[in-house]
Amino acid sequence: MTDDKAATLALPAPAALRPSALPKRGKFKMGQADALSTAAVVIVLLGAMQIASNFVPDYIMPPPATVLRATWDIVTADELHVLITLVRLFASVAFSMLLGIVIGGAMGMFGTIRPALRAVIVIDTGIPALSWMLLAVFWFRDPETRIFFILTVILVPFFALSIYDGIRALPRDLVDVVESFRPSRWQVLRFLVIPHVVPYVFLTMKSVIGYAIRMVVFAELVASASGIGSRMSLAQSTFRIDQVFAWTFLLVLLNIGLQTGVSMCERIALKWRPEVEVR
Amino acid sequence: MAAAGAPLIELREVTKRFASFLAVDKLSFSVGEGEIVALLGRTGAGKSTVLNLVMGSIAPDSGSISVAGCDPSRQFKQLRGRIAVSFQTDRLLPWRTAVENAELGLLILNVPKDEARRRALAWLDRVKLRGAEHKYVHELSGGMRQRVSLARALAVDPSIIFLDESFSQLDHATARALRTDFKRIAAEFGKTCLFVTHRIEDAIEIADRALILTQGARIALVEHVTAATRADPAATAAMHERIAQVLGHEDADTLADAAE
Ligand SMILES: Nc1ncnc2c1ncn2[C@@H]1O[C@H](COP(=O)(O)OP(=O)(O)O)[C@@H](O)[C@H]1O
Ligand SMILES: [Mg+2]
Repeated sequence: MTDDKAATLALPAPAALRPSALPKRGKFKMGQADALSTAAVVIVLLGAMQIASNFVPDYIMPPPATVLRATWDIVTADELHVLITLVRLFASVAFSMLLGIVIGGAMGMFGTIRPALRAVIVIDTGIPALSWMLLAVFWFRDPETRIFFILTVILVPFFALSIYDGIRALPRDLVDVVESFRPSRWQVLRFLVIPHVVPYVFLTMKSVIGYAIRMVVFAELVASASGIGSRMSLAQSTFRIDQVFAWTFLLVLLNIGLQTGVSMCERIALKWRPEVEVR
Repeated sequence: MAAAGAPLIELREVTKRFASFLAVDKLSFSVGEGEIVALLGRTGAGKSTVLNLVMGSIAPDSGSISVAGCDPSRQFKQLRGRIAVSFQTDRLLPWRTAVENAELGLLILNVPKDEARRRALAWLDRVKLRGAEHKYVHELSGGMRQRVSLARALAVDPSIIFLDESFSQLDHATARALRTDFKRIAAEFGKTCLFVTHRIEDAIEIADRALILTQGARIALVEHVTAATRADPAATAAMHERIAQVLGHEDADTLADAAE
C-alpha cells in the first residue's frame, strides 16, 4: 500500500457536504446535452485508449476491444462477485444511514448527550479510512464483519452530521405552530422532524454513494477473498490489465446506476417540492 | 355578540421583560366567551408577546394569566384541543397538501384518520378552498395558504382562537374577503377570538372590542365596535380617526425617544 493510496483514503470532511441552505431540487436530470457530452467524452477516451494501445504493449494499455471482451467475460462469469459487493454495499449503507439518523437525531434533540456524540463524530471523521481497514483486519476474522465495520465507521458521520444540521435548521415558526396543538414528543418527530430531514438524508446519500462504492471495493481488496475488490486484486496479480479496466468500467456504470436510482427515489419522495430552476 | 359571558381569557397586571427591555407593562384585560377582541398597535408595541404569553409559549415575569381556567404556560398540555392559532405567515408544512395541513391539529389530538380527513375537508370547504384540497403548499396563492392556515386552526374546534396578523400580509382585497369569511365563521360557531393586528380596518371590521396598545403593550384606548358602527360610514371614519391619532402620538413618542 503506497502513500498516495492512503491519501485518497482519507475521509473527505463531511463539512464539505453540508448545504448552506436547504438543497433545492433543480432540474438536474440527465438532459440531452448532458447525455451528448457524456457520449462525446466516452468516445474521446476510447479513441485515446485505441491510439495509445498501438504504441505500448497490451499489458500497459489494452485496446478497447480487449477491454470490452474482458467486460463480457466478467459479466458472465463473475456475476456472483458483483452481487456479493452489491449486497455488502446495500447492507452497510442502509445500516449507516439508520445509525446516522439515530445519532444525528439524538444530537439534535437531546442537548445533554450532544457534546459527547459530537466529540465521537469529530474524532471519527479525523481517522483515515486506511486506519479503520487495518484495524478491522486485526479485530475481526470474518470478512463480512470487517467490511461492514469499515463502511459503517466511515459512513455514519456523514449521515449523523447532516441530520443534525437538518434538525438545527428546523424553522422556529413551524415548531411553534405544531407545538400550539400540544403534541407528544413522538408526534413532533412524526409530523415535523422526520419529514423535514428527509431531503438531508437524500442529499447525503447522493454525495456518499460514490464514495461508498470506492470504499467497499477497497475494503474487499484488504479484507476479503470475494467481491469486486478481491477480483480486481486477482486481475492485478495475474497481469490481466484488461480485466482491471473492465472492472473499473463496470464500477463507473454501477455508480451512475445507483446515483440515478437514488435521484429517482428522491424525486418521488420529495414531490412536494417546487421545481426550481437556477439560472 | 358584544354581550359576553364569563371571561374566557383574563390577564391581571401581566409584565414581561426581555433582558432589561420592558415588552409588556402591567397589562390587564379580559375576553368574554364568544367575544372577538383586537389588540391593535404599531410594530414593536408588544402584541405578539401578549399573544405568546396567552398561548403559553412564554411565561410572564409577574401577574397572572388565565385561559379557559388554566395557566397557559404552567398547564401547557391542559389546553390541548381548546386553543388554536393562525399567524401572519401561513406556517404550513410544505410536505403536506392543503387537506393534510388542515387535518394536522386533529391528528395531533388523536382523532381517527378518516374522521380527521372528513372534518378537514369540511373546513376547507367553509373557507372556500374546494378544489384545492390536494394541492401542495407551493401550488397555492398567498390568500389560499392563509385560508388553509385558518382551516387548520378552526378544524380542531377550539373554544378560543388566536390570530397574529393573519390578514396583514395579504393585499387589501384578499384580506377583506378573508376577514369577512372569518367573521361569519366565528359568529356561526361562537368562537372566542383574540386577534393581533396593526391595521385599523382589520380591527374595526372584525372586533367587538379593540384595545389600542402603545409601546410596552399599554392600553391607550378602548373602542367598542357594533354592527351600527360598521353600518355608519361617518362613525367608522370617526373611530378610525381616533385610533389613528393614538397610534400617531405613539409615533411622535418613539421619534422623541430615538432623538434622545
Ligand atoms: N424573544 C425576544 N427577545 C427579545 N426581545 C423580544 C423578543 N420578542 C419580542 N421582543 C421585543 O419586544 C418588543 C415587542 O415585540 P412584539 O411583541 O413582537 O411586537 P409586535 O407584535 O407588536 O410587533 C419588540 O421591541 C421586540 O424586539
Ligand atoms: Mg407581531
